[in-house]
Amino acid sequence: MNKKIKVLVGLLLAGMLIAACAPVATPAPTQAPAPTEPPAPAPTDVPVAPEIDCMGTASGDEISMLYQWSGNEEENLNKILAPFVETCGIVLKPESTRDQALLDTRVKAGTPPDITFWNVTQLTQYKDLLVAMPDLGVNADNYADYWKAIGTVDGKWLGLPVKADPKTLVWYNPANFAAAGYAVPASWADLDALVEKMVADGKVPWSMGMESGDATGWTGSDFIQDILLVTQGPEYVMGIINGTVSYDDPGVKAAYEIYGKWAADAKYTVGGAQGTLSTSFLNAIHKVFSDPAEAMMVKQSGFAGGEVKATYPDLAYGPDYDFFGVPGAKGLQGGSDWMMAFSDKPAVKALVAYLSSAKGGKMWAEVGFDLTPNMAGADAYTDPALLKKAQLLANATGFTPDIGDSIPGGFGSAEWKAIVDYLNGGNLDAALTAAAAVQAEALNK
Amino acid sequence: MATTTVPKVMKQGKLTPWLYLLPALLVMGVFIVYPMINTISLSFLNADGTASASTTCVRGRPCWGLFENYRYALTAELDLTSFSSTWKSFWSSSYGNNIKWIIIMVTGTVGIGLGFAVLADRVKYEALAKSIIFMPMAISFVGAGVIWKFVYDFGTKQVQIGLLNAIIHNLGGKPVAWLSTPQLNTFALVAVGIWIWTGFCMTILSAALKAVPDEVIEAARVDGANEWHIFWSVMVPIISPTIIVVITTMVINVLKLFDIVYVMTGGNYGTEVIANRMYNEMYKSFNTGRGTAIAVVLVLAIIPFIYMNIRRFLAQEAAR
Amino acid sequence: MRWSSINKKINNVPTHIIIIFTLIIWIVPTLGLLLTSIRPLPAINTTGWWTVLSAPRGMKTYEQACASCHGQDGKLLTAADLTNPDIVKKYPRSTQLTALLQKEINGQPHLGMTPLPEAQESADIAAYMKRLSNLDKTPKITLNNYVDAIVGYRGTQTYTEDCKTGKQSLDLKCNLSDLVNPRGMGRAFLNSLIVTLPATFLPILFAAFAGFAFAWLDFKGRFLLFAVLVGLQVVPLQMTLVPISRMYAQLGLNGTFIAVWLFHTGFGLPYAIYLMRNFLGGLPRELFEAAYLDGASHWTAFTRLAIPLALPAIASLGIFQFLWVWNDLLVALVFLGGSKPVMTYQIGNMVTSLGAGWQLLTAAAFLSMLLPMVVFFALQRYFIRGMMAGAVKG
Repeated sequence: MNKKIKVLVGLLLAGMLIAACAPVATPAPTQAPAPTEPPAPAPTDVPVAPEIDCMGTASGDEISMLYQWSGNEEENLNKILAPFVETCGIVLKPESTRDQALLDTRVKAGTPPDITFWNVTQLTQYKDLLVAMPDLGVNADNYADYWKAIGTVDGKWLGLPVKADPKTLVWYNPANFAAAGYAVPASWADLDALVEKMVADGKVPWSMGMESGDATGWTGSDFIQDILLVTQGPEYVMGIINGTVSYDDPGVKAAYEIYGKWAADAKYTVGGAQGTLSTSFLNAIHKVFSDPAEAMMVKQSGFAGGEVKATYPDLAYGPDYDFFGVPGAKGLQGGSDWMMAFSDKPAVKALVAYLSSAKGGKMWAEVGFDLTPNMAGADAYTDPALLKKAQLLANATGFTPDIGDSIPGGFGSAEWKAIVDYLNGGNLDAALTAAAAVQAEALNK
Repeated sequence: MATTTVPKVMKQGKLTPWLYLLPALLVMGVFIVYPMINTISLSFLNADGTASASTTCVRGRPCWGLFENYRYALTAELDLTSFSSTWKSFWSSSYGNNIKWIIIMVTGTVGIGLGFAVLADRVKYEALAKSIIFMPMAISFVGAGVIWKFVYDFGTKQVQIGLLNAIIHNLGGKPVAWLSTPQLNTFALVAVGIWIWTGFCMTILSAALKAVPDEVIEAARVDGANEWHIFWSVMVPIISPTIIVVITTMVINVLKLFDIVYVMTGGNYGTEVIANRMYNEMYKSFNTGRGTAIAVVLVLAIIPFIYMNIRRFLAQEAAR
Repeated sequence: MRWSSINKKINNVPTHIIIIFTLIIWIVPTLGLLLTSIRPLPAINTTGWWTVLSAPRGMKTYEQACASCHGQDGKLLTAADLTNPDIVKKYPRSTQLTALLQKEINGQPHLGMTPLPEAQESADIAAYMKRLSNLDKTPKITLNNYVDAIVGYRGTQTYTEDCKTGKQSLDLKCNLSDLVNPRGMGRAFLNSLIVTLPATFLPILFAAFAGFAFAWLDFKGRFLLFAVLVGLQVVPLQMTLVPISRMYAQLGLNGTFIAVWLFHTGFGLPYAIYLMRNFLGGLPRELFEAAYLDGASHWTAFTRLAIPLALPAIASLGIFQFLWVWNDLLVALVFLGGSKPVMTYQIGNMVTSLGAGWQLLTAAAFLSMLLPMVVFFALQRYFIRGMMAGAVKG
């Protein structure tokens, strides 16, 4: 046994060395530019304002930050922040975790990170500790009013929206649609008819999957929120978030029933209720693009495209995978990430200034880390799918954040539980009443 | 009772023992006793520890005043409308789940561990076989979570990456949602627990078996007892003190169990156990008062078993 | 051994069957992880790890339906050479292939008398054609996952590929220094070691002191105190995170290794004291009496007598504590977080917040298991001996 392990370690190390040594021969382009000096006076006669304002930070200043991104997402963030880091000489101390316990423990211990990128709920949760955006030199003009409104708690603008990912999307395989003679639906009625037609043709319209470890249920709550945007509209959804609409309202119940009709029936979705409950949300995406496809459509936010590309490298965006906005939705649902500052030191100000600047917005869009709410980035996307999503967002008549992300105090989990209970055959009224109680408690109604 | 164990020959300063104890007392005081007292006091306060728990009572709903968090900890998962509904909801609560865990996991680990120890004793590759059974103990829960994902994954046709469902599929059955079917999922998680902990029980029981004097077994065999009879009537009684220690230790482990559920389901689909409920209340719902009350209940539930272990130990000392 | 020699006669086939069956159940899940970790992502996401051992997808179907005309290697018909990527490219998936098969060739059905394949079969054939024509070059197994995990590569290709094209991300240099890239498992391995070694040594040392006092020194309340200390095992560590973190914040210890060492020491002590007291108490009293008569002090008795004799218990405790600390996630997450990432922490960060990147996760998980396995297999003899001292003495 020991020997085997040694051999294995040896193999691994050997493989590592080969991989690590091979590319040294190629010229290293990264070393070419000498470390950029702080913005040198522009030699041109037209005075150009420096693109990045370092707010008087000293080189070597540190910013500690905590976020939920990891893997490839972290890579994207690094690329976006690279010009800022180089220009201002700031040292970033990033930490990544999906366990909110870490953030909360830090905050409660009195040692919060300088900044955090987290959900909109934390704006309310930490409202007494956060530094308001205007105090940090934010470029407010680059943000639409609705973003500022979402980021405002008790009259103070506390969070900078940095990333948005529209969720009101349906992904499909255009080749499969063409082969079966289906057209992209233009209205909710069209979608309903298309679904019925698919069933009549012996195809399964939807692939649904909720399983997601301790966040199980979120794809269901996304779907229901999209249905609410169709049947009720964005004001109604915001009402749920504010607590003016109780979660056991008949409108919510109707949306659950529309969802349940599809999500619990093997005619409409792969595997019926059990398939919906037990399939992981990633597998649910795969099933629409496998060969042969197990279903025709999957409702999922923008990231699904990347997942398809990684799993089926032979497919191309456009001919083989594409998306359309949920037809008939009055307004868009989106996940969003917010930058919050627990510190007002110069380095943090410089970072806020950078992210909210024209340069920051453009960088975000160019790197293509989903969408940027910073309007300066609106036309800087290079990825066609992002461009399409950006247009969808720009044309949206309203924007609602994820309900579960927006109500503090464990409402998100309660909402997921209601959906899971319902699909598991539980009583819908009881499930909604339980979630409504948590909603009321969380919002002190 | 026990002072007899100390040699009387040596004179001893009053301070000496305490010098030896000092580092341990200091560290344990700071890291265990202080947080525990802190926890107990927080359990009588509201969500963020700013006012008495009684202020969180809602008019028209049951309220235990200062013990309001304990009301929540003990009854919030229960449907108290009738006896049968209480009974039913108890078994799907975190307490019910913990009891299921204890019953199945302790039986499983001790049963398989003992059986395997007896059987492995008769083969030449005993050491290797025992190492394999013990191996999961060396694997982190994070690793185990990844490992078991590829066993339990729920797949259909094209996307089939879970081993169990692939077997079922090949035999012509319908895929089973191991982790999201209530009741079944607790068993699926317990199986992971058994996989991890059987090695622990097996190792201790195996050593105890080997310590059984040959003469005793030989005598029984001369009397014409068969192997089954020797096992049950000769060996088991002799090693029963060990079995009891293993059982109580496992019960304590299961009561404190957190990681398997945290990694694999996060307590979803009715798999929540007490330690996870405590964690979720503290760090997901941010209700420190309720979370700490659950913690205190958990500690109270473990105390009898620790007491049993310690009492047995003291009795052993006295008998020496 | 003695026992087994007596029982040779019943040492029969069923015993072997039961043992081997149990062993298979125990080892298969881990084997699955190992095999998964050497597969490329598309394969992990769509097929089970056991298929790595089987023939390429669609080979059998191809041989039944197509080989008679196109040949085993696909080259038999020069007009329709299935090893030619330009031809195969037109029929990437079952939709296109089925459409082709439905068409007639020279007035004859494409497949002659053979019935049209079902969608599944057609898809399998299309997949196999891509292999024949080398359009699908994904290897069956790869070490890239391991390389990527070790250096902390987070891009969408592979580390080797990106370094070749010079597209690697800023934190990678494409030389040996990447082995300790803060985002990689290589660095995490070092951090885990730095965390684990003192966090193993300290509680054993303190427990040896305390165990000696409880076993061989006389003082008031000896047994009560012992019972209380051992009884502290009841405290679940999840509930102590906030108060301790608050205390650390005041002392400026959050994010330092000391914080984790001390915490693990605290929580390792109850069991360690129990075991050390048990083991030391089991040593013959005459030894100590003789030593004291020779004029030895308590300190001499402790260092020269107790510690050397307690080595098996120390080794056992050492392994136990080592495994516990090495495999811990929660404590490292809260007190070290990302500032000094350990392996269990870094595993989770291999994937995105939406779970993309399983190939790295599996490789990272397996890497984190290597050292504990080595330690365990190398030292298990001591481990078992010491564990006995704790549990079944008397």
